[in-house]
Amino acid sequence: MDRREFLKLAAISGIGFSTAGSFDKLIKSVEASEKIDLVVAHGASPSKITDAAIDAIGGMKRFVSRGDIVIVKPNMAFDRLPEQAANTNPEVVATVVKLCYEAGAKKVKVFDRTVNDPRRCYVQSGIADAARASGAEVNHIDERKFKDIRINGQAIKTWPLYTEIFEADKIINIPIAKHHGLAKLTMAMKNWMGIMGGTRRTIHQKLDESLVDLALVIKPTLTVLDAVRILTANGPQGGDIDDVKRLDTVIVGIDQVAVDSFGATLFGMKGSDLGYVKVADKLGLGTMDISKLKIKRISI
Amino acid sequence: MQNLRRISQGIFLLLFLFLFLQTESKGRDELGYPVKIFLDFDPLIFITTILSAHAVAKAFYLSIVVVIVTIIFGRVFCGWVCPLGTLNNITGSLKKWRFNMASRNWHRVKYYILIFLLASSLFTLQLVGIIDPISLLIRSLSLSIYPLFNYSIRSIFDTIYSLDFRGVVGISESIYSILKKGILSFQQPFYNQSIFIGVIFFLILGLNLVERRFWCRYLCPLGAFLGILSRYSFLKRSVSEGCDSCGICASVCQGNAAPDKKEDWKDAECLYCWNCDDVCPQNAVSFGFFRKRTATAMDLGKRRVIVSMLSGMFAVPLLRATPLSKSGFSNPGLIRPPGSLEEREFLKRCVKCGECMKVCITNGLQPTFLEAGLEGIWSPVLISRIGYCEYRCTLCGQVCPTGAIKRLELKEKVKIKIGLAMIDKGRCLPYAHATPCIVCEEVCPTPKKAIWFENVKVKDRHGKGIIMKQPRVDLELCIGCGICETRCPVLGQPAIYITNIGESRSKENQLLL
Ligand code: SF4
Ligand code: SF4
Repeated sequence: MDRREFLKLAAISGIGFSTAGSFDKLIKSVEASEKIDLVVAHGASPSKITDAAIDAIGGMKRFVSRGDIVIVKPNMAFDRLPEQAANTNPEVVATVVKLCYEAGAKKVKVFDRTVNDPRRCYVQSGIADAARASGAEVNHIDERKFKDIRINGQAIKTWPLYTEIFEADKIINIPIAKHHGLAKLTMAMKNWMGIMGGTRRTIHQKLDESLVDLALVIKPTLTVLDAVRILTANGPQGGDIDDVKRLDTVIVGIDQVAVDSFGATLFGMKGSDLGYVKVADKLGLGTMDISKLKIKRISI
Repeated sequence: MQNLRRISQGIFLLLFLFLFLQTESKGRDELGYPVKIFLDFDPLIFITTILSAHAVAKAFYLSIVVVIVTIIFGRVFCGWVCPLGTLNNITGSLKKWRFNMASRNWHRVKYYILIFLLASSLFTLQLVGIIDPISLLIRSLSLSIYPLFNYSIRSIFDTIYSLDFRGVVGISESIYSILKKGILSFQQPFYNQSIFIGVIFFLILGLNLVERRFWCRYLCPLGAFLGILSRYSFLKRSVSEGCDSCGICASVCQGNAAPDKKEDWKDAECLYCWNCDDVCPQNAVSFGFFRKRTATAMDLGKRRVIVSMLSGMFAVPLLRATPLSKSGFSNPGLIRPPGSLEEREFLKRCVKCGECMKVCITNGLQPTFLEAGLEGIWSPVLISRIGYCEYRCTLCGQVCPTGAIKRLELKEKVKIKIGLAMIDKGRCLPYAHATPCIVCEEVCPTPKKAIWFENVKVKDRHGKGIIMKQPRVDLELCIGCGICETRCPVLGQPAIYITNIGESRSKENQLLL
């Protein structure tokens, strides 16, 4: 077994490594991954805290290897401006894109199946411009690339999902934390609605179960929760600046259930208040109990 | 001269098509191009709008330029500029014409049409857009030809893509992506009546195979209007002694102006194509300024003029005599775009050019058929099941040439109500079927949601108590944008739907005090 193969195996068995990094670094990143489950970074500059949070969890090299095709999936579902906190902060997205390239990614793709008109969502959210400026390929959804995927979950048996997700080497989810009428809050797991094709509105009939079903097949490499501004009411679209609270925070983790569970605390809730977090925890998809997590807090 | 003219026609046609393609959102709230400028330059729309609405959009004063140009140079707009004229020209040249084809003597028809239009607009009926060449062309392209074009190109590339021929797909996809950037629309547009509107357009083009420039010679009211002005133009055609009446000029004349008959020369029909000058073997034809007028007087026949005037007048009550005018209420489904004037004023201005429908980003704006009465045919109506009014978009008001839809600032636009949502409790999932659903609330764009929930304890089939979030519409907050109807998962008849009740533009059509 040569080194490359070993690393590949290690990656498959669930621990992320950098194929490009030296062995020293490798060990360091293993240590880091053992130590920290979540990084919570706080500071005035969205790009700096994103940078620092990812660095603290082991650096982007731990997740993205040379030559990787990476999908960075922000939430840009709505025709709203960054100040209105309905879409992911563009600076956070741009920083993640930049870090991916620095780690050697071959291509970083950014897209979302939007709720409002896609042209407007991409432009008005500020994400398309910011991500492109960092070198990302920002395309609109191509309806032909949805393929029925077997999920066999509690609520969803099969669903047309965006195939680019399954063709990518790495997936980075960058949701924004905000209020939602039915799910109470939407963050990481709900962000995968953005790769659903078809009439996804029907999943609201069994929303919690459906979201967990999606999590059965979509395995993000990393989740970066944007809480620079959070929307506390009238979500997920908002529109009223009075509903927006500035937290200047970014949370990074590998376990998306843990990220969502922690995210609930930003709104004065517990992870167990969120149906989908509870269901996911029960199925063993992740950890809801944040007292079991190693959380590193940094402030810049 | 012929080549010069063709170049000019080509440039204007390309400019027209370019602006047509730019009549599409790129994500910002401005288009960045003066996409309606051809309509702004149209003096016929200018005049009829003044007559019918006693007011006019500022940009329209550009059309005075066309009037001035016509007074100086004659009907050059038709021969050198008009995009529909150029298309007529092109279609006409698909056929080989026999040398001595007799042409019809129908050129008066277009003057009667013009008189009819002017008379009816004087009595506040705005029908000009139905037959004005610029408006007709934009409408036909927007609602019919372009959607058709998109559909066929897309299906070709989709087929190649789905068949997945190795090697070919890579090439076809790269061609496709270039097309998508340049000439295809962002998404496939669909319109009611697109076939009907397209058939009319193809008929007009097809008439060119019966006779060259059939439309321009016999039907076009703008042509008629410019023709009348052209009679007083400074630039005139004259024929010298050298003419031996060989008649070759008549066979190349685009306007059916009888250039070979010296006495019968119809200057108003001349399109200033210069063909006769180019072709004359004796070099006897020339164009020049301040020549003596040689043409015969225009003989329209007093009686027919009066008949067309009267029919223009009588068309007004005739088209308006619908049961709607009795009840005073409009068709509840007649949801006009935001910024639309009060219905009567709206109809006086809307020229049915289709600009607003072309630019509407959700494809929700559709042409009416009879919903607004016969006089409102092809005016815009929002069909929420097809597409909704995007909350922060103001494009339709920006492209409307006559101000039938006012141009709104974003902060005004979001306050305008175009209607009101109503919930059908017999269909709504949480009400009728004890099944959760909150789609309408989720998509509702007003900052404070116009849909609120009552948490109701209901029992499911097995007697188990569950909490249902049952939606209610806040009558004050709802703006009628219709996204809830577009997205309602209840198929067939949606469980939430919009009517025009409460529209800001109407004093009467109000539910609340
Ligand atoms: S007659 Fe009418 S259609 Fe023909 S060229 Fe003139 S304006 Fe255009
Ligand atoms: S029409 Fe529907 S979505 Fe639009 S404001 Fe009213 S309730 Fe909200």
